[in-house]
Amino acid sequence: MRKQTLSLAAVAAGAALALSACGGVQTTAGGGSDSGDYPTGSVNMPVGASAGGSSDLISRQVSRGLSEELGGSFPVINREGANGALAAAEVAKAEPDGSTISVQNASLFAITPLAVPEDQVTSIDDFDVVQGVSRDDYVLVASKGSGFDSIESFQDADGKVTYGTTGVGTGAQLACALTFNVNDTPAEAIPFDGGAPALTALLGDQVDTACLQVGEAIENIRSGKILPIVVFGPERVEFLPDVPTAQESGLDVEVAQYRFMTVPKGTPQDVKDSIAEAMQATFETSEYQDFNEQNNLTPMEISGDEVVTQLEEDKQRYADLVEEYGIDLGDAS
Amino acid sequence: MDFSAFLDGFGVVTQPGNLLYCLIGVVVGMLIGVLPGLGPAATMAILLPVVYSAHDPVAAIIMLAGIYYGAQYGGTITSVLLRIPGEASSVVTVFDGFALAKQGKAGTALGIAAIGSFIGATISIIGLTLLGPLVAEFALDFGPPEYAALALLGVLLVATIGNGNTVKALAAAAIGLLLATVGSDSFTSADRFTFGSLNLEDGIDFVVVAMGLFGVGEILYNLEERHGKPHVPAAIANIWPSRKDLKEAGPAIGRGSFIGFVLGVLPGGGAVMASLAAYAAEKRVAKDPSRFGRGAIEGVAGPESANNAAATSSFIPLLTIGIPANASMAMLYAALLVVGVTPGPQLIDERPDLFWGVVNSMYIGNLILLLLSIPLVGIFVRILRVRPAILAPITALITILGVYTIRNSVFDIFLMIFFGVVGYLMKKFGFEPGPMVLAFVLGSLIESSFRRSMLIFEGDASGFVTRPISGTILAFVVLVIAFPLIKRALRRKTPDTDTTPETVQREDSLR
Repeated sequence: MRKQTLSLAAVAAGAALALSACGGVQTTAGGGSDSGDYPTGSVNMPVGASAGGSSDLISRQVSRGLSEELGGSFPVINREGANGALAAAEVAKAEPDGSTISVQNASLFAITPLAVPEDQVTSIDDFDVVQGVSRDDYVLVASKGSGFDSIESFQDADGKVTYGTTGVGTGAQLACALTFNVNDTPAEAIPFDGGAPALTALLGDQVDTACLQVGEAIENIRSGKILPIVVFGPERVEFLPDVPTAQESGLDVEVAQYRFMTVPKGTPQDVKDSIAEAMQATFETSEYQDFNEQNNLTPMEISGDEVVTQLEEDKQRYADLVEEYGIDLGDAS
Repeated sequence: MDFSAFLDGFGVVTQPGNLLYCLIGVVVGMLIGVLPGLGPAATMAILLPVVYSAHDPVAAIIMLAGIYYGAQYGGTITSVLLRIPGEASSVVTVFDGFALAKQGKAGTALGIAAIGSFIGATISIIGLTLLGPLVAEFALDFGPPEYAALALLGVLLVATIGNGNTVKALAAAAIGLLLATVGSDSFTSADRFTFGSLNLEDGIDFVVVAMGLFGVGEILYNLEERHGKPHVPAAIANIWPSRKDLKEAGPAIGRGSFIGFVLGVLPGGGAVMASLAAYAAEKRVAKDPSRFGRGAIEGVAGPESANNAAATSSFIPLLTIGIPANASMAMLYAALLVVGVTPGPQLIDERPDLFWGVVNSMYIGNLILLLLSIPLVGIFVRILRVRPAILAPITALITILGVYTIRNSVFDIFLMIFFGVVGYLMKKFGFEPGPMVLAFVLGSLIESSFRRSMLIFEGDASGFVTRPISGTILAFVVLVIAFPLIKRALRRKTPDTDTTPETVQREDSLR
């Protein structure tokens, strides 16, 4: 009997080990740096968000593309926490040989610094940006019960307008806060833990308006359960052609979330070139393009240098606007 | 409801390929459910590429759904046998489940849990089939004030859990509430008790606390005991639940299924509240409430039926209004996008084959799970015959791996060991870890919902009472507090001194 139970225990332990290996516990052999045959081992792709969110899905899609173009495996490892700062810190201190790469969010570098203490700010200077990926637009939506359908209609608001956001230090919060301040409408921010709870509250008429990512809101906009007011991108969103931009509605507000591929500072140029080329090849595939369309993502396949320029510009612009209107993102209480 | 579309859905499921995917899904789900930490969401993320390559994307969706509800069955096994609950909604099962296992009735507990899970899930699917869109509307009426009131009720119910001492339970619950405040404040992003560590920025994960307090705490406690008396392997008297067990558990399964279906529709906290409420309901209904915490079969049957019913009804918000209620539903959302379907109000009209295919696969998937569970119970209970010297390190390994897989963090492992020591000390001084863990889960819900409500009310707290649903829940809260007090007051008027046996019993239960 003892023998039997022992082997049972061994099987259980073995199964546990095997399963956790699937969970992304990977040993990394390191990427090659002197030869052109990158990668030589498996390449870790930490992502600063939990499974299922758009950051995670984009990382997985890029990972698929990279392993098809370059061979080898690019396991995505969910390392959520602190708006992505934990994953960023891990990438920043990883060996700069291409064995750790990561798709990161613009908001971590341009918007989060406005809401967190100085010592928690993640700087883009710790990374080399390899390639832009895609843009995820924000949309201001109103519940049907609120009676709002355009920026002008906010003038008739009696009392404060409540707006749901997807959290503190997110682009959604910044976009909404700027809109109501620039438009001079008394409003109150109600932060939720992500897009789904904010959308739920809006559908149930718990809040008047909310700023959400287009992908989160689009199906309920199409079925007429919530009303889109403006989008916050530089131009109209392909998936919502009838919704004006904030600029068109007379508000100088432009906020977008975009993602890009980063590597630790000091990664050899040939490795970065291999990654960028493989990503561009991935962007050409119809599978990747379908993915963008399904998730309502607008391609933003610009070079790494252009990404950095845009980031610096956005960061400065947001900081100026926030100062001009006296907005404190870290004070929604 | 379009009846022919519903029947066509069975046509979709019974295609051999789809049946195979359903089988793979539920088996994988059950296996990962056994291993705490690597939850269904992470597994679905790993298997998401299958959706691209499957011959039929509907089959892949059926498989992913199977992983989710299959995991609910697996989670019970570790809760009952090893005292490590993998999810917040199975914490309640630990109390009576583990007590039964210690008495050599692990087979009974697991058997009843499997049957209860099957019935709970099936009732919930029938509810989803008939009432789906209707119930979804109900979920939308739950705003922040309602969640705040519901979570407050939950914390009160927490005190009724365990085997007796209410003061100690409340003390543990208070510490749980405090633990929930660790991390960056989600309203102001100010740091609270993070000690400058980015690792604590997002607060502490439930699994870290639960694995530590329950799993590691129990191992440490047993180490001490082992030298005292020789280990007697728990005699496994009966593998199968007797007819008497079934009779006792029957009504509990019915009540649990109903509670689970209703509360499970609420995104965020629905499943935890369901298992808690089911447990509290059983204890209230029972003729002899003191059995609870010491191996009452209803204490397993109620919550297990409830959390499976809740898991099933959490599909409703996703399929009818396009809102993922939890991380696993978010993965399913992502998988549906890959198929080219955006979940939302139109799903049922646009893709009836997909909607009914997935819904009906759950009837069959749950049947497969029941058929699989019954023979597996016989195998799993043998784990208890393994000597502690072998079982303890394996349990420790499972908890460490489980905690590590949540976010690949070594810091979390040490944090779990810290909670293990806390759990050991608590057990030594007669505190139950259960109330602490559950209050910890409900704490952030209470806090954020309350603050959100106050923002919506513009600082006027009377809104809690004037809104119909939150007002009703609060009235219920008052009743729960007042009822025992009134009862005691009435009893004091009568000269009968029946309080003495009760106190004796209480002290008894502490030992």
